[in-house]
Amino acid sequence: MSNPILEVDRASRTFGGLKAVQEVSFSVEEGEIFGVAGPNGSGKSTLFNLITGIPFPPTSGSIVFGGTRIDGKSPHAIARSGLARTFQKDAEFPDLSARETMLIGASYAGGMSGRQAGHAADDALELVSFPEDRRDVESGHLSVYEKKQLMIGSALVSNPRILMLDEPASGLTRPEIAALDKLLLDVNRTGVTILLIEHVLSLLLSVSERLLVLNQGQILASGDPQEVIRDPKVIEAYLGGRK
Amino acid sequence: MTRTRIAAILVAFALLALVPLVVTDSYVRHLFIIAFIYAVVASNWDLSLGYTGLFNFGHLTFFGVGVYTAAILAETVELSPWAAILCGGITAALAALLISAPVARLKGIYVVLVTFAFSQLAMQVVLSQSDITGGAEGIVRIPYLQVGDYRFIRDYNLAYYYTAFAMLCVSTVFLLAVVASPFGKSLRALRDNPDYAASRGISVARQRIMSLVLSAVFTGIAGGFYAIYLRVASPEVFGFGTLSLALSMVLIGGVGTIIGPVLAALFLTFLTEAMAGIRGLEDARFIVVALAMILVLRLAPGGSIEMLSRLRLGAGFRSRRETTDTAGNRS
Repeated sequence: MSNPILEVDRASRTFGGLKAVQEVSFSVEEGEIFGVAGPNGSGKSTLFNLITGIPFPPTSGSIVFGGTRIDGKSPHAIARSGLARTFQKDAEFPDLSARETMLIGASYAGGMSGRQAGHAADDALELVSFPEDRRDVESGHLSVYEKKQLMIGSALVSNPRILMLDEPASGLTRPEIAALDKLLLDVNRTGVTILLIEHVLSLLLSVSERLLVLNQGQILASGDPQEVIRDPKVIEAYLGGRK
Repeated sequence: MTRTRIAAILVAFALLALVPLVVTDSYVRHLFIIAFIYAVVASNWDLSLGYTGLFNFGHLTFFGVGVYTAAILAETVELSPWAAILCGGITAALAALLISAPVARLKGIYVVLVTFAFSQLAMQVVLSQSDITGGAEGIVRIPYLQVGDYRFIRDYNLAYYYTAFAMLCVSTVFLLAVVASPFGKSLRALRDNPDYAASRGISVARQRIMSLVLSAVFTGIAGGFYAIYLRVASPEVFGFGTLSLALSMVLIGGVGTIIGPVLAALFLTFLTEAMAGIRGLEDARFIVVALAMILVLRLAPGGSIEMLSRLRLGAGFRSRRETTDTAGNRS
């Protein structure tokens, strides 16, 4: 591999005395699905925050996306450069309908206007199989799964180069997780690189080509997913020393 | 916005256009004119406060800037009062641009503090620069409006009524177009979830600046019209009384609705004026407005529009229940 789209070099973030992320370095190849795992509080979501600048950039270190350094850029500029993310907690614009939410992504992150934005919004809703009769419902009234679909769809609508998903399977049923698995592979086949944080290991192992495990803000292991999950350090971090 | 609501707005505005044909008393027309001015101020405030979620407590400063711009240009510079009114909109927008620089990246209470400090600063500038602004006494005998030989001060406020009404119509159409546009939707997105909005490419700072500037344009024009109509510019426009009355119109009318503050401006202007005529209630009227504001925020935070929606839903529910009862299908 020799075509990194994202390079994180010694990225750190401290909050007073707390080191949330410490000297984390890794790179993601264009077109791959890169998994990120780790126990609760290990710094996975903070790492996403540092990369996207939402809500804060790294305290030190550098982040290069597509050959351009993006740490220090404003969050909306990072989003417009082709880096789209979802959030761990359900995020929505409660007053806006699903279609309006898609139009926001298409217009601002995607730089589209008028009909082009409308078509992109409809295509993205189709791609995530969002129910047709629910597209004009205000997002505040959607189900948990519909909100997940919408958040992923509104990230995809701008045709990003990297899609960063933060625990998209949390709170979903098995059939919904299976549908998500298929969706991720379908999206990846279109050339979109995916960075995936997930606690549902079956999903993570099913789709990831490489896996990085964080613990207490540091990299514990990285590499082939099957090898990484057999690493004794990873087992200990997850299971607290049980063999 | 539903077709029913659009139809209701059009009917209400058509009725307002017919008012002067029925109401010939110049004082009642004067009340309508003041209500229209407040309606413009309150509905434009709703753009930054209600739609953008920006706790901008300096909105009346834009009004005051419009007042003094028109007064100085018409009285001192002897510019046409019509042009002076329009210039009020331009200087108010520039004032908004000035204040938006520190406000764009602030949150919550800090926005309140900075914008309120800005309004106090503006008042102090007006008071201290008495050579230009007239200081505490203000500017009086400002030239009135006229078209050709037609003088607006000799027709029992008929022309002023229609000028103020036209200003309200244009401002309302402008605001409704803004909030219905992709830009307006981005403001609501930003208000409800700034991080999510930023992740979808929306610039928090830029949208806030745009929102403040756009909300200032017609507010400044209303200020300019206010100065030309009353023929006086006084530092009272920067005072807390004017600010709290306009704020009560936004809150009682319903934040994030545009039409709510317009309705509340009409209602509160006539209510406070009616109470002023009742012995013993002259000063109590502001207490009543404050209590109404507290009650509305407690019982229906969405304001009058929310209350109307609830009433309509309640009526719809009762109507459906009566229908099923009569049909005997359900108990």
